[in-house]
Amino acid sequence: MRIIRLVYHSSSIMKKTVILGLLILPLLSLVAEPTPTITVRKGEGVNLSLQAIGGSDGAAISKTLKNDLEISGWFTFVDAGKGSYAASGNASGGALEGKVTDRSGGTVLAKTYKGSARENAHHFANDIVETLTGNKGMATSKIVFASNRTGRKEIYVADYDGTNANQLTHDNVISVSPAISPDGKKVAYTGYQSGYADIYLIELSSGARNRIVKFPGTNSGAAFSPDGSHIAAMVSKDGNPELYVIPLNGIGVHRLTHTKGVESSPSWSPDGKSIVYCSDDGGSPQIYIIPSGGGTQRMLHTGFGYCTEPNWSPDGKRIAFNIRSGGSFSVAVLDIQSGSVRVVGSGENPAWGPDSRHLIYSTGSSLIILDVPTGHTTNVISGFGKVSEPDWSR
Amino acid sequence: MKKLFSILCLVALAFTLSSCANKKKNQYAGVDGDYVNGTPLADRKEGSAFFSDNVVKGQYPPVYFGFDSYSVGDSEKGKIDDVAAAIKDSQKTIIVAGFTDERGTDEYNRGLGEKRAEAVRQALIDKGVSAGRIQTVSFGKEMPADSGSGDAAWAKNRRVEFGVVK
Repeated sequence: MRIIRLVYHSSSIMKKTVILGLLILPLLSLVAEPTPTITVRKGEGVNLSLQAIGGSDGAAISKTLKNDLEISGWFTFVDAGKGSYAASGNASGGALEGKVTDRSGGTVLAKTYKGSARENAHHFANDIVETLTGNKGMATSKIVFASNRTGRKEIYVADYDGTNANQLTHDNVISVSPAISPDGKKVAYTGYQSGYADIYLIELSSGARNRIVKFPGTNSGAAFSPDGSHIAAMVSKDGNPELYVIPLNGIGVHRLTHTKGVESSPSWSPDGKSIVYCSDDGGSPQIYIIPSGGGTQRMLHTGFGYCTEPNWSPDGKRIAFNIRSGGSFSVAVLDIQSGSVRVVGSGENPAWGPDSRHLIYSTGSSLIILDVPTGHTTNVISGFGKVSEPDWSR
Repeated sequence: MKKLFSILCLVALAFTLSSCANKKKNQYAGVDGDYVNGTPLADRKEGSAFFSDNVVKGQYPPVYFGFDSYSVGDSEKGKIDDVAAAIKDSQKTIIVAGFTDERGTDEYNRGLGEKRAEAVRQALIDKGVSAGRIQTVSFGKEMPADSGSGDAAWAKNRRVEFGVVK
């Protein structure tokens, strides 16, 4: 993990703050020369004292809950009695009674969760995040990725924190480019069982699998629409790799792009009206946006010469993508409103978490969750051989 | 006369507007639109995966490409001409498989590999091979010819291979 660190003293505001090593690129020009500026942020965490969960299941729940709240990035943990809020609970017999009180002892959250210890802890963590910060939690989300640990790339699904990793495909061919539906119930991926690249759809609850896109040529890079009813994907049947929107039943495909270059890696805006993707039609791979119902594409000016694998945040405000610098790949984030671009980490194939705050990406040997505002990283998958192309449920 | 002129103007205006609308509609008419690049691929002939024993590989030398490029260089054109001459009059199916080096991200490289395969396919068609006998597949940066890293390995991996279905 290599993080770009720059120290740049230019304003009094910055002197007060903590350097987090984020590189900002003002996009006033197309020049790829980075202008060193520093993004600085103080710990904005909500002060929380997390008390040990009591009861027979308490120890397991405490561990999962603490991990969820730490990864969430929203909290600063303080000793009992010193926090703005205190979280506590009691767990036994498959039930967790969770409670959060404020400084005056008033209850701000009290709820009983029924399920496995991990599920209960994850749901309680999400409720704490949503109650105290107003933001969506990610503790119950799922990730998918490809791993070659069996000798061939296969598709795996896991809880967002890397636990419960489960091998989904056992095809012993090449299985890559997994996408998980926003509700976490379906996985689409690219498989070579036919000898060609086709898109398959798996219903996670039943394990049922269907080959839904099998045109001549290469079909790959499925991305679910926000309502889960369609995928966008690269399809080359017309003699060129182009983007298509395809209903999950495979009937009624719609071609989006018409260029002589390569279009790949679509990702939907949260309202479903637009798709961000990569095209090299202008000579080098760059990021473009096109209406999902068809229309005119426009290029996003990033200032970098090689931009691939874009991923639109669930809140619609930012697009993460890969840039190539030197011989390696970095993860960059474009703020759509301001047009500014920050390099936030080193790795491939970034995907946003449900909170639009965290990214997951691959370093080759690991999957990393990055807390974008703080730069804090958590290694969630390692020891799985080469891991690649993570995606995250919403 | 004045009235007739007005009517003519209105008709002209309506015609202009409708042709604008038609133009836009055609431009984005999807698969049946007016801008299809090259020759649509022939229907799949499944049952013969490129990396299976049913496909003869290595009979013709691979076509190599420059970094992040899908244009067929002058030094490579003769290889495609030779393949076209050899198979033009046979009835066999040929699989054109595109590959990339490791210096690109996964999905973009799948697209680049497919584009390389389709560039070679078009060159074969231009030399008289029937489009109906050519299938394309991209493996992106999977299945490298040389598993090493460095210029020599990368140059060997940026390729299109030919496979002839037995």
